[in-house]
Parts: sequence; C-alpha cells; structure tokens
Amino acid sequence: MPEHRLFLLRHGEGAWNKENRFCSWVDQKLSEDGVKEAQECGRLLKEMGCQFDMVFTSILSRSVQTAWQVLEVMGLEWVPVVKSWRLNERHYGALIGLNRAEMALNHGEERVKLWRRSYDVTPPPIDESHPFFTEIYNDRRYNSCDIPKENLPRAESLKDVLDRLLPYWDNIIAPEIKRGKTVLLSAHGNSCRALLKHLEGISDSDIAGVTLPTGVPILLELDGDLRPVKPRQLLGDQAKIQAAIKKVEDQGKAKPGGK
Amino acid sequence: MLIQKASGGVADAFLFRVRKFKSQRMAAYRLVLIRHGESCWNQENRFCGWFDADLSEAGVQEAKRGGQALKDSGFEFDVCYTSVLQRAIRTLWLVLDGIDQMWLPVHRTWRLNERHYGGLTGLNKAETAARHGEAQVKVWRRSYDIPPPPMDAEHDLYSAISQDRRYRDLSKDQLPICESLKDTIARALPFWNEEIVPQIKEGKKVLIAAHGNSLRGIVKHLEDMTDEAIMNLNLPTGIPIVYELDKNLKPIKPMQFLGDEETVRKAMEAVAAQGKAKK
Repeated sequence: MPEHRLFLLRHGEGAWNKENRFCSWVDQKLSEDGVKEAQECGRLLKEMGCQFDMVFTSILSRSVQTAWQVLEVMGLEWVPVVKSWRLNERHYGALIGLNRAEMALNHGEERVKLWRRSYDVTPPPIDESHPFFTEIYNDRRYNSCDIPKENLPRAESLKDVLDRLLPYWDNIIAPEIKRGKTVLLSAHGNSCRALLKHLEGISDSDIAGVTLPTGVPILLELDGDLRPVKPRQLLGDQAKIQAAIKKVEDQGKAKPGGK
Repeated sequence: MLIQKASGGVADAFLFRVRKFKSQRMAAYRLVLIRHGESCWNQENRFCGWFDADLSEAGVQEAKRGGQALKDSGFEFDVCYTSVLQRAIRTLWLVLDGIDQMWLPVHRTWRLNERHYGGLTGLNKAETAARHGEAQVKVWRRSYDIPPPPMDAEHDLYSAISQDRRYRDLSKDQLPICESLKDTIARALPFWNEEIVPQIKEGKKVLIAAHGNSLRGIVKHLEDMTDEAIMNLNLPTGIPIVYELDKNLKPIKPMQFLGDEETVRKAMEAVAAQGKAKK
C-alpha cells in the first residue's frame, strides 16, 4: 500500500530542443509546443484528481514555466513553488549549445551516446572562451545559490548531477513528502533521471537505457521510507508516450543531410 | 567651490538647492508594489474578495504592460510576495516572465489576500443595494471599521472559499468570514513586519503583487496615513508603484508610477481626483 505519491515531470520543448542543441544551463523558455505540452500535462493531472501541496523546480525558466502552466490549468496557482539550482539540468560543459546531430557526425553516434548516457563520464568543462560562458555565469540567479558561484559546476556527468541533487532531496524534498505532502518535481531530463536512479536503485549501466519523454508526468508510489512499491508509471496515452520516448532517443542520432 | 557674487537671486537659488540636497534623505531601499488588473468579476462589477476569480484578458494585458514598464527601467528583484488568489499570482507570473526573472523565490500568503467581503461576495452593485438598501451600502463604503455581513454556511460560495485546501492551516480565529478595511490591514501588517521588512533591511529588492486593500495596508503604514486618507486612496491597477525608502523604511518621496508617459499621467490624475471627489 503506497504511503506517498511523488510526481516527476520533465519540461516540454524549449526553443533549443527543437534545434536539437544541448541546452543545459542556458536559460531558454518553452517553445509554443512546450507550453502546450505543459498544459496537456496539467489537464491530465487534473483529471486524475491530483492534489499537490508543493512544487519544486530548478532555477531555469523552462522548468518554472512548466510548473506554472501545470498549476494554472489545475487551478492550483496558490501551491508553494520552491526553486533550486540543485534541480537544474545536467551541466554539459563545453558541449553546451552544440547541435547533437553535428556532434554525432563529428564524434560518432557512440561517443555522443557515451557522453549523454554514461553514468560517470564528464564532458569537457566550459571555459571563458565558450560563447555561452558569460551568459550563464554572469546571471544573477547564480549569485544567490546555497554555494558560492565559483563552486558551481563547469561540467557534469550524471553522477555529478546526483551528487549535487541528493542533499537537496534528503534535506528539503524528502522531509516534505514524509510530512504527507503530495509533491510535484518539475525538472529536466537528467535531474529526473538522476533522482530515479537513486530512488529505484538503477545500476550505473542500466541508467543509460532510461529515456524520459518530455511533458509526460511520471508517478512514483513510495512506502514510508520513500522506496518505490512498484515500477514508475508514465501517465497518459501510452502510444503517445512511446512516440515521445522515441523522439528523445532519435535526437542522439546523426541525420545525414542535417536537420 | 567658488560661488560667484552674482545677483542676489541666483546665489540665493543656488544655496537653497544645496541646502535642500543636503537635507534630503538618501534612499536606502527601493520597494515595488503592483495591484493586479481587471478580473472576470471586476468586469461584472461583483464584490470579489476571497472568491478566486481569474484575470480577464484586459487584466492579463495590464500585467504584461506592468512587466514591460519594469523591464524598460531595468528593475531587478531578489524576492517576491503575493497572495493565494490567482489574479495576484498570475499578475506576478506575467511580470516575472516579462522581466526574465522567473527564477526568483515567490512567497504566497493569505495575509496579502484581498479584503474578505463576507456576505456581499458575489453580489453586484445593484443586487447589493436591492438586498441591503442604499443607506447601508453607503455606511459600509465609508466606514473604516464596520465589516459587511458575514459569509455564513448558507452562502453559495461558503465551501468554495472557507473550506478550500489553501486555507486548511489557518486556525478558526484566523480564517475570516468578513472583514472591514481595518481587519484586512490588521492581518496584512504582521506579515509585512515579520517577513517582508527583514528582507528589505537585508538589502533584498522586493516586489509585492497583491490587491487593492492589502496594498492599502502597506501604503497606510509606510506613509502613516489616517483611516480617512487611506479610504480615499485607490491604487492604480497593473502599474508598478515604486517607493524609495530611507533606512527607517520611511518614503523619501511620494510613490512613483512606472509606465509610458500617458499611462503614468492618467494614473496620477486619477489618484489626485480621488481625494477631491466625495461620493
């Protein structure tokens, strides 16, 4: 008998998702389709009768925007929303802004897959020469994180993501769930994957095969110790979900003639 | 610096400005308030209060314009406060989207809610006059501390409001069933004093998106206004209201409105006219 229900949501399409570029810590807002995905999510969760008590997001606009769209559709704008860099998308270092298809053409599909899907291989770090370095590190939002700006990552493996996410989960999110709050985490592909790896005990090699579709709420039913009592459930039309998963998987592949 | 011995008038004028500048308090802090724009019920002229009406399309545009005005002036904030009513929260969201600061922490509180209109909630002007008589309505309008009739369990909106999940942590004493303006201000100010003021004093740049009457509470307090004076002040909607405060949180100049020239002029005129009209 599950004691707690936790909902995870990977935000929908941003402008760069459309262009197939590693967006990471660059602050993109949702595309029109991304907004629609979020609203559709909200409708689904509303139909299910979800009564959220608290929402957690990253400090990237697309995750906040997704949460706001969901709450608006559900008529739950009053629910507290708490934001933290520790739920940010994985930091892709020097690969930020690069087109996945080009990367695959230049480095081969397998190497790209390794960077994207391995557990502890860190991409090369971002440095001052990178076109998006200033945009990221001059942004005021990184002046008020719970660690000094100079200690924020310059590149991350999925393992690094979990290392900075886990204290937030343990100290901030988990206690709320244990207090009986129904929590929605509106976050990113890799912050969601990292958390799932931890909660479901997925191995370092198996996590590579886990693909989360965008805009599909994931339900985890947990016992009193926050251990899942059954496999995660992707909510909604199952055919649509499979298509959405395939879409994410295809992004890693090179397309000759380019997209 | 040499002051040329010009004609007495010029030297005097110069010295007057020097003295005035010296005596002017410096702004230690800046605070921005914004009152949400038109709601669907405003459109219908109904007492809204704690009913969770949505913004009308016009209200959405007002919020976007407010956000644009803040963007044009380059405002940056550190923390935001709002009520638990969607018309204020959505106004804040639209503003934060407009100024690209969606990452800011936002604190929601019932204490910044609009005034609770009790048994009048949901009634339009004509219905109110028909039910209670023009004379009684006038009394309620002009009174600082006489509340409207309470919203009892028979009221259509009783369960939608009083039993809404968002208020479940309120004690029976805290949850209102009607409020005078005095009551509204009495429950808003503790939040101002205990939560907002310390943030301002820490140097945090604060944005508050709320309602006519809860914002009146803050304005009355900041400007040390009389009961009568605050009742005669209707804050403009959708227009960012900027206060520059000294280190004791006293305004160093009158509130300023942000926006294009015409919007600001109209708002200032409307506020000035209020003081004169006696309905």
